[in-house]
Amino acid sequence: METITHREDGMRSQQKITRLLLFALGVAGVLGAASPLRAEQIQGADAVLSGVPSPKSDDIAAKGDPGAEQTGTINDVTVADSKKGLTLADVANQAGQNKIAINFVWTLVAGFLVMFMQAGFALVETGLIRAKNANHTMMMNFMVYGLGLFAYWVCGFAIQMGGAAPIANLGGVYPLNHEFVTNLFGKPWGLFGTKGFFLHGATYDVGVMVLFLFQMVFMDTTTTIVTGSCAERWKYSAFAVSTIFLGALTYPLFGNWAWGGGWLSQLGANFGLGHGYCDFAGSGVVHAVGGLTAMAVAMQLGPRIGKYNRDGRPNVIPGHDLTYVLLGCFILAFGWFGFNPGSTLGASGNGCLRIGSIAVNTMLAGCTGSFAALLYMWIRYGKPDASMAGNGLLAGLVAITAPSGFVNTLSACIIGWVAGILVCLGVEFFDRVAKIDDPVGAMSVHGLNGLWGVLSVGLFADGRSNYGGSWNGVSGSVTGLFYGDAGQLTAQLIGIATLVGGIFALSFVFNWLVDVVVGQRVSAKVELAGLDIPEMGALCYPDFQLKASDYGAASSGGVSVAASAKH
Amino acid sequence: MKLVGVLCVLAGWAVAVAGLFLSSANAVRLLIACAGIGISLYGSLGLLNGYFLERAIWKR
Repeated sequence: METITHREDGMRSQQKITRLLLFALGVAGVLGAASPLRAEQIQGADAVLSGVPSPKSDDIAAKGDPGAEQTGTINDVTVADSKKGLTLADVANQAGQNKIAINFVWTLVAGFLVMFMQAGFALVETGLIRAKNANHTMMMNFMVYGLGLFAYWVCGFAIQMGGAAPIANLGGVYPLNHEFVTNLFGKPWGLFGTKGFFLHGATYDVGVMVLFLFQMVFMDTTTTIVTGSCAERWKYSAFAVSTIFLGALTYPLFGNWAWGGGWLSQLGANFGLGHGYCDFAGSGVVHAVGGLTAMAVAMQLGPRIGKYNRDGRPNVIPGHDLTYVLLGCFILAFGWFGFNPGSTLGASGNGCLRIGSIAVNTMLAGCTGSFAALLYMWIRYGKPDASMAGNGLLAGLVAITAPSGFVNTLSACIIGWVAGILVCLGVEFFDRVAKIDDPVGAMSVHGLNGLWGVLSVGLFADGRSNYGGSWNGVSGSVTGLFYGDAGQLTAQLIGIATLVGGIFALSFVFNWLVDVVVGQRVSAKVELAGLDIPEMGALCYPDFQLKASDYGAASSGGVSVAASAKH
Repeated sequence: MKLVGVLCVLAGWAVAVAGLFLSSANAVRLLIACAGIGISLYGSLGLLNGYFLERAIWKR
């Protein structure tokens, strides 16, 4: 009987606490991030919550808490004034901080996953090139991290996100509050941010730091795309300069227009085109920018010696380690769970619970992309090609990146399936028609499918997502053509025009200058010997015996060494 | 030729953006945006790539 009474008391106490916490959470929800100033405005906020029962520390000390019933209770709420005791304002503040803490941790962990994608890119690209260039390719992938981060810290982040505030999920990031805006035909056009250079001054802020880390690893992904397409012939010095420019200006500029409050994101508010340009996690911002920059540089570099015969027919130059390639693809697929679901910038509030749907969409599109590519190659060439199956997986993931937050699972499968076919067609097109040599297929995987991802938002967005009731300042949910909003498709097309026009041109012109000043391509002698010793000073596999044919595709490629040396 | 190619690429972008001001009808804006993309692609894959293909290493 005594036990039953004790249990009932306990239940009543729990109900009381639950009611109090629900009330506090409601207050915090209404006020957004509960700041102390706002908490003071709560009626009775200074009411002392002395009547709330709490577990006794002596009991826990004696018995422990194996059932987790007494750990994480009202005792753990931070009290502002110990003399006054626990108040309602304390509970409300704690609720607000918990929401932001959940979002910080989620965003940071997602960022760490994206950072690990660098390892995946390094393995995929190195596996797809010849052993004699492995050190050079690995070191390009390694150094995009350092070079890109530095450039992004100096000015890239400020240009991209300097006017992005407020971002409610990260507590507002209010110091990032200035966008350079010009007026064109009576409409405001946000061009670039101006706060956050070197992360100094007011941007020395916890929310800004979380945002910086997450955005930085995205930028890093963009820079690493280029290294694959330009592998086996790109001067290391030219690569370094080109990477710094990409991280400091090209990527941040488009990132601002799409994510930092710039003009593309405002196409909805200013011109009534749906919700403006929508790119949930960066099919356009990250992958298309990287893929198009890769195309601009690869075009200028020209094909590797031996890639094409005199009659223009392409030769296959196989990579040296398929295990690297497929392991890298798995690492990338794993990292993508940070890339897409992490782009909610939170797991609590403003519709962030949609992270489950985003993760499933990511998974489905990757799988269908891989399957479609495998099937295409099997039917067309008679064998299930491993590297193209890997590229199909990546293509599906790239394509779902922009729409992942706005579409249902069926659409994700269709998007992934189309991406898997597109990547195969793209590789064939660049190889045989355009004759732009791309050792890893990055232009097809990231460029072509990045654009497809952007377009698919305008087609498949189902109008069921709700991230705080609006997107890009337009109320309601993002809805594509198939669900009734043709304006969204137009906004996406203008985004694509900006990518293939503005961003490609910017990348091309800058790398043209690099070619004039530094020189983009290594000499034919260096290329035939392999870039590891001449460029890097060390072989990747010094204890391995390389076959004579590894030292130059000249014999199989039909281009004489003498002719190549003239280049 | 490289400069002409770059200008053509930029012109495609300008056309797509100009469509925003030329008409308030979504269908017209959509078509103009598609035309702009086409012009840019012609500039990059047609003119610029054509220039580099003419001087390709395997043609020497």
